[in-house]
Amino acid sequence: MRHVSVKAGAMVIGLGTLALAGYAAAQYQLAKMTPAEIVTERQRVMKLNGASWADAQAKLKAGNAEAVAVNAETMAFLAREIPMLFPEGSTTADSKAKPEIWQKWPEFESAAKNFQMQAEKLRDAAKTKDLAATEAVAKDFGRQACGTCHTPFRVPPPRT
Amino acid sequence: MTAGAAGRSCRGRFIRRGAIALVAVAVGVFSASFAGAASPTPEEIARGKYIFGATGGCGCHTKPKDPVNSGGRRYDLPFGTVYSSNITPDKETGIGGWTDDQILTAIRLGRRPNGERLTPVHPYLEFNGMTEEDARAVIAFLRTLPAVKRAPPANQLKVPLFGSVFLPAWLATFATYEKPRASAPTSGIERGEYLVRVLGHCSECHTPRTMTMASDNTRFLAGTAKGPENAEIPNITPDKDTGLTWTVEQIADFLGTGNKPDGDVVGGLMGEVIEGTAAGYKDLTQADRLAIAQYLKSVPAIKNKIGK
Repeated sequence: MRHVSVKAGAMVIGLGTLALAGYAAAQYQLAKMTPAEIVTERQRVMKLNGASWADAQAKLKAGNAEAVAVNAETMAFLAREIPMLFPEGSTTADSKAKPEIWQKWPEFESAAKNFQMQAEKLRDAAKTKDLAATEAVAKDFGRQACGTCHTPFRVPPPRT
Repeated sequence: MTAGAAGRSCRGRFIRRGAIALVAVAVGVFSASFAGAASPTPEEIARGKYIFGATGGCGCHTKPKDPVNSGGRRYDLPFGTVYSSNITPDKETGIGGWTDDQILTAIRLGRRPNGERLTPVHPYLEFNGMTEEDARAVIAFLRTLPAVKRAPPANQLKVPLFGSVFLPAWLATFATYEKPRASAPTSGIERGEYLVRVLGHCSECHTPRTMTMASDNTRFLAGTAKGPENAEIPNITPDKDTGLTWTVEQIADFLGTGNKPDGDVVGGLMGEVIEGTAAGYKDLTQADRLAIAQYLKSVPAIKNKIGK
């Protein structure tokens, strides 16, 4: 009986994973998208990350730690989508993605995972409403959450 | 006590005091010279680490994720491929067997102990302006890092007689050296100038090059579409349309955190020099980062649009 329930549990987890993967694929319909469309999509995601981080910094400067949680949660959520937004060969002249992404895929995936974890850390600090603690995480967030991926894997875009 | 006895006693005390003073001076001189030659103070080493950070952590000498300063990083140049040197204190493959003066000559004048010239990928055109005090502090710091036994691959230069004829001629004809400085400015725009022009060697990437590959100093810091690693390097002169329009505070913040005002975070080589190795731009004091920003605001604005 126990054996059956474990099996059923595994099936549920398996189906759940499939459903999640299906959700992601359906959301982006990557197979149907051209490289140009994929690049546009991921630049949108990254712009949203950038806007969230800029907003978080402004809120911290204003002394409002708690309000940073939603920005951090946005980044943590978007971080999970990063690897699937980089299918192999999805480059165009507009893309700043370096070929190293696909040459060192496990490193790229772990950089995205690191971003997610750092964003969650920022979110959890913000939820405590402790300004000093949130600022302590935010102080190195740019370099340690974003820079650790941008440095090896992104051609620096010209400053605008 | 007679007058004579009192006089002898005074003389005796005077002689004794004199002798003690002489011994004290001698001990002082001896210990000072000994300390100067053999063991830098922790303050000097910390100062050396700070200067090391102000150069971007001498990052060209470290391949990402490899031991700091172990060299072997590849640079493809128009005249061939070169690899950075191992500058760890290893005696065989690093600089452990060099004297302080030999390292000083390599850092500032670009010459090895055997007289060979270094490829000017090592920024000796800029480091020529580094004060001796700062350079010696860096050397003291370099000697504290772990020794790594690893020789870099041999350089592959396409130009015949590169080291003996081509490079000396190129340096004599086209190179502009930073003027030597006796002492480092400690504050203000002058401090910023020293940090930008000498220690930070910003010009190496941010100033476009002429056909001869020399820095085009008429377009100082005006950016280039063909920078190192084929990256577009931004114009950081204060030109209002094509240059750096961030505030002084935003520039200082960027150098410490990598954060840009629009929420983006820098990567690439700029990300590397901010992060540094054992230290980087991020470890500069706020006063020094502000001084850099103030200096950048003071250089001539040059219109040069990079990128779309």
